[in-house]
Parts: sequence; C-alpha cells; structure tokens
Amino acid sequence: MFIDIDCSQMKKYNQNAFGDYFVSKRYPDESRLVAVLSDGLGSGIKANILSCMTATMLLKFISNEQIPIRQAAEIIMNSLPVCKVRHISYSTFSAIDCYDDGNAKIVEEGNPDFIWIRNGEVMEPQYEIIQSKTFKNRKMKVYKLKFKLGDRVIFCSDGVTQAGLGGGRLKLGLRREGLIVLLKDKLAENPDISSSELSTYIVNQARNIETDRNPKDDISACVLYFREPREALVFTGPPYHQQKDKEYAELFWNFKGKKAICGGTTANLISRELNIPIRMDTTISVGKLPAVSYMDGVDIVTEGILTLTKTAEYLESGSIDIDNAAGKLVKFLLDSDCINFLVGAKLNQAHYDPALPIEIEIRKNIIKKMAKILQDKYFKKVTVQYM
Amino acid sequence: MDKKISVKVCLGTTCFVMGSANLQELIETVPAKYGDKVDVSGVPCLGLCSIDWEFSKAPYVKVDDEVIKEATVEKVLKAIDEKLK
Repeated sequence: MFIDIDCSQMKKYNQNAFGDYFVSKRYPDESRLVAVLSDGLGSGIKANILSCMTATMLLKFISNEQIPIRQAAEIIMNSLPVCKVRHISYSTFSAIDCYDDGNAKIVEEGNPDFIWIRNGEVMEPQYEIIQSKTFKNRKMKVYKLKFKLGDRVIFCSDGVTQAGLGGGRLKLGLRREGLIVLLKDKLAENPDISSSELSTYIVNQARNIETDRNPKDDISACVLYFREPREALVFTGPPYHQQKDKEYAELFWNFKGKKAICGGTTANLISRELNIPIRMDTTISVGKLPAVSYMDGVDIVTEGILTLTKTAEYLESGSIDIDNAAGKLVKFLLDSDCINFLVGAKLNQAHYDPALPIEIEIRKNIIKKMAKILQDKYFKKVTVQYM
Repeated sequence: MDKKISVKVCLGTTCFVMGSANLQELIETVPAKYGDKVDVSGVPCLGLCSIDWEFSKAPYVKVDDEVIKEATVEKVLKAIDEKLK
C-alpha cells in the first residue's frame, strides 16, 4: 500500500506565522512513515516556535528508532513546560508511526481525536490512556491499529473543530461531528480524492464558517490515505553503453504505470528501438523551454536538461500550475506516488562547450536534487537507477 | 506535384540554447510564405551536436537532407529558395 499524506494549513487572522506545525518523514527502505502535527499555545511566532520544537523533537525521537513512539510521546508530555499565564501546557501534539502494510501506532495529547474512515464509516478504535506522572491534567491516548486499503485518517488542530465558535450559525463551532459530516459528504462525492485536495478542502471549509472568513485560530488538517501506489517512470539520458539501448527501451516499455521521457536523444532512442513515431507539439514554445512532443504509449515527452532544471526549480518553489513543458512534468510527477528515475549516464560533449549558458547542469546532479525535493517536500517514494 | 520540402528544426538542449528557440518562428512564417510546398516542424533532437561537438555549430536545421549549421532564419529561407528553383 502507498500512504498518501499531506497537510494543509492556514494562519490565524492577522498573524504572520503558523502556530501549528506539521512534519513528516518517509523511510522508503523500511516502508515506514512518521508524521507529527503539533499545535503551539497562543498564536504567531511564539506558537510557531513551541509547536515547531515539539513536532521536530518528537519526529527525531521516533525516527531514530531508539525510542518507540509511545515512550517518546510520554517523555515530551511529561516535560512540556506550563504557561505561566494560562496554566496549560505549551503545546499539544498528534503523532503517527505507520508502515506500508497498514500497521500503525498513533499517540495524541491535547489535539482533537483523529478521524478514521473506512468505507464511508467512522471507525471507533480502542485506545489506552497514559496519565502523565508530572502533570495531573495531562494524559495521552495511544492507539495500535491496522489500516486497510482505502482507509483514511484525518488529524486536525482545534482550529478546525472550533471553527465558527461563537458565530451566528454554529454556536459551538464545527466540532468533530460537523467535520465528520463534511468529510463523509466530500468522500461520497469524490471517493478517490487525494490527501492534498482533501486537506485543502477541510481547511477552506473551516475558514468559510468563521465570521468574516477570518480564522480565529491556526487551522491545520493532515490527511493520510492508504491506497494502491501510482507508479511513474522517468527515462532520461541515453545509456552509457550503446549496445544496451534495446534492453533499456524494453525495460521502459514493459513498465506498468505512467511514463515520461526527458531528453531529445532519449526520445529518439525509444522511438527507434520500439518503432514509435514522435510528433512534436506544433505550438511555438514561448520563453525558455522547448515544447513537449508526443509518442503513443508515453504520457509526456520533453527536452532534457533545461526542462528538468526548470522542473526542479518549480518543485522547490512550489509553483505547480505553469503552462509549459516543465509545468506539465511537475504535474506528471505530483500525480504519482512512487517515482522511478532511469538515468542514462552518457554525456553529451556538446553540453560542455563554454559557449553554452551556464544553466546546463549535469543530469545526475539535477536528478539527485529533484529526487530529494520530491521525497522531502512532496513525500513521494523515489528511486533512482543509473545505467 | 513535386515532393514537399521538409524543414526540421532541432529543439534539443544544445540547439535550443544556441538559438533554435528563435528559429521556431519558421513554423509560422514558412507556411505563410511558401504555402504547402514546404513542411516545417520541430524535432526533439537531430543528434548532430554530439557528433560534431568539437566544432559545435548549433543550432542545426535540416532542409531535406541538407544540414544547415549555425542556422538562422535567413539561412534556412535561402536554402528553401535554392531547393525551389
């Protein structure tokens, strides 16, 4: 199973920093994912620092494998200081440690209970309560669960459940019940919605019921979706040994999933070996990138180095809606869960001509950079194979 | 009717940065000038820069079988005129 995870956030009205903090890390080698959502006391910079410290420390504790999630959370719960003014703890948190096979552990302290939806119904899992040894008013819930294909798990900060509090229509705010209704309706309408879309939807809905659409607290929603992975293959650069062309073309063709080719020579190679004609987009490419071309059975065909460099740039800056070849490649990549790069190691001497613009980088480096961004920022599973 | 003249503008990395980005205008101007006697299209890569790398003469354009090195709009139009004579 692939765990599609994303978090969407909105700042409290008139604040310039997020008071909730979300971190997540994927361990492709262990098929494991750890994520933490923390809500810092107060709002703005102060809350940002508190939640950021809580979340990153918890993630570090858990991910080093040295401390199991339960103990790690307990340590944090027992040591979080108390605010002098409000007499409550500095931050609250939810954390999940889960594996591709669906086995997961969740701990919660102070955040609204997570929502687990299976086949359109909300599940009510068993949990264990751990009382803090140092603070009477603190306790955390520990869950040991097994998720199945199609399950969704939603974590949120109290900014979501208390949205609209004291307002005209919902005097007690959205609450958990209201959120469940919203989720069920949305899932009935769009059963395959991605985590990214669903989390954005929750946050927008929460904001919409606030008076004047101004959030009175930081709003965060983190969604996990257990589903079949969407595989993608990106083939870029011709193989180092030319006699392997045929083999690689077949490897490319036999791949089950979406396919991209980035590179003129690479496209020609596939076209020649598999006898598929290339059709160039007849629109003139405006700006700095050549237009895409088309081949039957291949989802996207682009130029190589320039497009890849631009794609990495867009991914890094989060510009995901741009209408050029790199923008299309970004969309292709973000619509996949597992991305495999097949990188040909052959160099084109002409690219090293000092007369060429300096932007022309070494393919291996761009792919390395892009793989890191896709993994760290977009939580994709990435493999890179050189040939 | 005679066979159409084919013009292929290389849009590979080297050619693109060396000027074929500007040669794309041929895709519009040539049909306007010569009608359907000439067929212009972009191609992903003509593979010429890697063969000729020591004396890089990108951008390359192919007019039928003739390779135009360091191609410019004028050079390409001239080559088409020659062929049409």
